[in-house]
Amino acid sequence: MIVTNTETIAGYRIVELRGLVQGNTVRAKHAGRDIAAGLKNLIGGELKGYTELLTESRRQALERMLAQAQQLGANAVVNVRFTTSAVTSGAAELYAYGTAVVAEPSA
Amino acid sequence: MGEIAFQVGFFLFFIILGYVAGTIAERRHWANLAEREASNGEFLVTQLKSFPAFVTGSTPPQLIVAESAIGSDYFKTFLAKVRGLFGGEVRSYQSLLDRARREATQRAIEQARQLGYNALCNLRLDSADIGGNSKSSKGIAMVTIIASATAYHFHAPAS
Repeated sequence: MIVTNTETIAGYRIVELRGLVQGNTVRAKHAGRDIAAGLKNLIGGELKGYTELLTESRRQALERMLAQAQQLGANAVVNVRFTTSAVTSGAAELYAYGTAVVAEPSA
Repeated sequence: MGEIAFQVGFFLFFIILGYVAGTIAERRHWANLAEREASNGEFLVTQLKSFPAFVTGSTPPQLIVAESAIGSDYFKTFLAKVRGLFGGEVRSYQSLLDRARREATQRAIEQARQLGYNALCNLRLDSADIGGNSKSSKGIAMVTIIASATAYHFHAPAS
């Protein structure tokens, strides 16, 4: 599966459109992480717990999106975008969406 | 009376702790970023939707996503609150945004490089909302950035 956030794929030709595919997830870290982040907020620096939270959420949202694309018989997803929204504090909603297509090498 | 002195003491302690530790963390991060940016200097990064100087490589173009979350310190948060009373430019938070963006960009470059690519196009930087907004009672002041880009192989001009 080829995934890009551009509308085209260099070296490939898009031969068929399969429509919008999407995946979302709402994830939270355990309370310990939130407390650690609160303490880190006194001294500054990277909040690793929240970086991890974002990475995990993004992976899950992408996986769900790709599963949809596979069901539609696509072999590529183009123009992938991410948006987030704050549901409650400490939780992240991550939404990934893109266009499922069938692409073949142009040569 | 004693209680007030105790509270003021605590406040001052946190301010000084925030200032000292925050400044050290910030300097270190800046030095680290400058070093990585220098070593990734020849890596082509654009935010163009096309693929400048594309060459067919062993692998097709691929989505790269990287994130970073940088927290504020007590001193900066306090400065920002004071600024909120008078209005105007909140300079103490600008460094956070700058560092978070640069960090996410460098991480994206490093990921792409590990996968054997030598260029990124269509780099997008979005801020993510987690940890609630700053208006909530225990809101944590931080900046979270998601960088997404497409990695590909490009033909490096012979120098």
